Amino acid sequence: MKKTTLITLLAIDAVILAGIIFLVGHSWNRYRAKPSIAEVNTVTPALPKELRIVSMAPNLTEILFALGLNQEIAAVTSDSDYPSQAQSLPKVGTFWQPDMEAIMKAKPTHVFALGFKQQASLAERLRSMGCKSLSLNIESFPELFSGIRAIGKTVGKQEQADRLIYRIQNTQNTLKRRFAGRGDPKVLWVIQREPLRVAGQDTFVDEMIRTCGGQNAIEKTLHQYPPISQESLLAAAPDIIIEPADSAKDYERLSRTAGEFYGRYPSLPAVRDKRIYVLDGDLVSRLGPRIEKGLQEVARCLWPQEKFEE
Amino acid sequence: MNPVLTPKKLMFRIAVAAGILLLLMFLCSLIGSKTIHLGVVLQGPRLESGQANVDYEIYMHVRIPQIFLAAIVGAALACAGVVLQAILRNPLADPYLLGISSGAGLGTMLAVVVAGVSWSFWGISSITLSAFVCALATVWVVWLLGGGGRRGGMSGLLLAGVVVNAFLSAVIMFLNSIAQAGQIQTTIFWLMGNITALENYGLLWISGGIVTAGVLILLRLSVSLNLLSLSPEEARTAGVNVKWVYQGCFAISALITAVAVSLSGLVGFVGLIVPHAVRLFIGPDHRQLIPLSALAGAGFVVLADAVSRTVVAPAVMPVGVVTALAGGPFFLFLLVRRGGKLYTER
Amino acid sequence: MAVIEVEHLRFGYTQTSILTDLSFSVNEGAFCAIAGPNGAGKTTLVRLLAGLLKPAGGTIRLNGEKLSSYAPKSLARQIAVVCQEYVPVFDFTVLEMVMMVRLNRRDFVLFEDESDRHIVAEALEQTEIVHLAGRKLNELSGGERQRVFIARALAQKTPILLLDEPTNHLDMKHQIRIFDLLKKLQTEQQKTILAVTHDINMACQYCDHAMLLAGGEMAWGNPSEVFAVERLKCVFEVDGFQGSFRSKPFFIPLSGRKKDTAGRE
Repeated sequence: MKKTTLITLLAIDAVILAGIIFLVGHSWNRYRAKPSIAEVNTVTPALPKELRIVSMAPNLTEILFALGLNQEIAAVTSDSDYPSQAQSLPKVGTFWQPDMEAIMKAKPTHVFALGFKQQASLAERLRSMGCKSLSLNIESFPELFSGIRAIGKTVGKQEQADRLIYRIQNTQNTLKRRFAGRGDPKVLWVIQREPLRVAGQDTFVDEMIRTCGGQNAIEKTLHQYPPISQESLLAAAPDIIIEPADSAKDYERLSRTAGEFYGRYPSLPAVRDKRIYVLDGDLVSRLGPRIEKGLQEVARCLWPQEKFEE
Repeated sequence: MNPVLTPKKLMFRIAVAAGILLLLMFLCSLIGSKTIHLGVVLQGPRLESGQANVDYEIYMHVRIPQIFLAAIVGAALACAGVVLQAILRNPLADPYLLGISSGAGLGTMLAVVVAGVSWSFWGISSITLSAFVCALATVWVVWLLGGGGRRGGMSGLLLAGVVVNAFLSAVIMFLNSIAQAGQIQTTIFWLMGNITALENYGLLWISGGIVTAGVLILLRLSVSLNLLSLSPEEARTAGVNVKWVYQGCFAISALITAVAVSLSGLVGFVGLIVPHAVRLFIGPDHRQLIPLSALAGAGFVVLADAVSRTVVAPAVMPVGVVTALAGGPFFLFLLVRRGGKLYTER
Repeated sequence: MAVIEVEHLRFGYTQTSILTDLSFSVNEGAFCAIAGPNGAGKTTLVRLLAGLLKPAGGTIRLNGEKLSSYAPKSLARQIAVVCQEYVPVFDFTVLEMVMMVRLNRRDFVLFEDESDRHIVAEALEQTEIVHLAGRKLNELSGGERQRVFIARALAQKTPILLLDEPTNHLDMKHQIRIFDLLKKLQTEQQKTILAVTHDINMACQYCDHAMLLAGGEMAWGNPSEVFAVERLKCVFEVDGFQGSFRSKPFFIPLSGRKKDTAGRE
């Protein structure tokens, strides 16, 4: 009798396993599909006399500067490193670990944060202080545009916002027109080598690749940035491998060891044709105003023989 | 069940189990995130068109090594589990109990945070080396702390193992807090247990050899283990050199577990469930239990690896997750079956 | 010829010694009973003689050699021990439990041969547990378990048997049977037997030597001398009545306070 119980238990287990996988995949998508802007406060049309803005993310900082704000930015996170003026501003911690006291010391009228759970609760706290906070979800191009628009509206720079959006979209369209239907080379976007994690199809990276006339080497997955098996790597057979680096040191290391790491898979077209590129992560992994340059970098990787202006 | 175990019977059972294992390994080699065709594989490394045969490459260079590694890891963990349960006289014992898990974890973190992941030595990654060395060092510390080898030192060992595990976990947590996000990801992923194809086939042969040798030595000691699992005094009066057997079994299980963990991370529950499951079917005689648990453990991990490769393809789920999902409920089942008492107390 | 010689044995689990300056020698083929109040050190003595404990002082010799110089395997060929019983963690069958001790006698051997099977069968018969051969140890009663452990010791086929209270769970029938068996082993196979027992009368009926351990002191010799009624009353602090049956003494304890030699309470 104990043996049949064992088998029954294993069967129940299989069901539980299936259930968990389903839930994981489902909730992942759910989490992603939040509405793009979670406005904690309604934005009043009348602006306060003096704007003191705190930005809680590097791409938000870049957007604010791109909209022409300068004096109004009171403090930024320590990883907001662009433009250079941002580096001399007072710091309020990092994206993952915000420094509440520093934020309060900056006496902000507005705080802009990304819509991650940690920062959403921060926004709540600030609201109770009487400060207006805007919590944005910027994980895709459409979300970037609505984010820029929302920021523009909040600070009264709608015109600049529209112009910024137009510039980016213009670049996108130009690239799309130029490179559509030119063979759709397969691109593998590797964000981490050990374990091997790549950008999946549900990401802005995927959108960038498609804009530049390529396709993602990986099929649809449950996760946005899944770890993949060596089998899948071999089966994907990418023509191009792109790796974003998050610092100068990282850039150097990735470039130096790329040959050794990918040399284990000589059958990959990307390895054979030596089309492994390491890019500046600030341009291609940060969804902000410079993504325009990022798009061009990606296009240069896909079409090295083509000429690009600028 | 006829209680008399003859050599013929044992050989027969081992042969059947080995046959099933080989069949399982073959079947699992056919499934994966990409469907491949054996006919294409057999065409060799290059297709007629001159292009590289991707099917061949996947089959020969990824799947086969991966499956063999899974088998080696499973055999090592299951066998170590059997032996530790016998010498600790505790059905709850697991090869990770004596500090190997946290030792390997610490080794991993040190390699990732301090040394940098891409460093490798003779084709062995820094993580593997570091985890192996730290795991063994931890076991040695636990052995010393627990007054190992002395009769009655076994409970001291358990305690030392728990203490050392707790301490090292704290160190790991500290390292985690100062590490960058990417490094944490790498460590956690590795710690969840992963079977990946090794590029260094020599390593595969060496680890396979160590584990096989370990299992055979433990088989030789199986009669002493039978006696020891009753009580060390009984064993002593029946002629077992208790100290040597304790030391030998402990050292060998620690070694094969360290080999397994350094190659694949922490694949949990194998050392706990497989011995119990095998004991349920064939009884507690270690002459059978040791070889058959090794084979069953190998099969279990091969199967778990196949599941982890295919369920969320092309993404990969850590093998440790699959074994834990199988192991957790089974563990509960064990508790319930024995009415909350997992072993009879004196 | 003395097989076991003990000289000035001293031992204690802590600073206080339980056994102080014990000396005696056991001849081949003797059947000795060891008795005494609880905590006197009877079990400790058995464990010392079995080599499970190391003496704090004094020596124990087996066949002329020091006990500590014996390797476990060779010691196991000389002495078999029946300790206080316990329940094992894993459920071996009775047959497996008894067969195990045969397998350990030789190196590099994993399986029993014909002679092993014969010996085990004999041991099971002698302790009358053949019908229990396929049963798991956990399923047996205390008395049946005790007979299994005795069978194990018998299967070791050693010239010396040390038994620690081998019959304390057994009913009358099996108590008699076991003592009969031990007597038979003594007379037919010249085995040397030391048995710790609480049953003084059984000891008087069967044993030719006796030891009474109390308060670190020892009385050793003929049972009727060692178990003298006044000594028993004093050591066990009971009143009692002594009689004789078939020229062997017996003692019946009675309630009532101990009387000292002058008859005063």
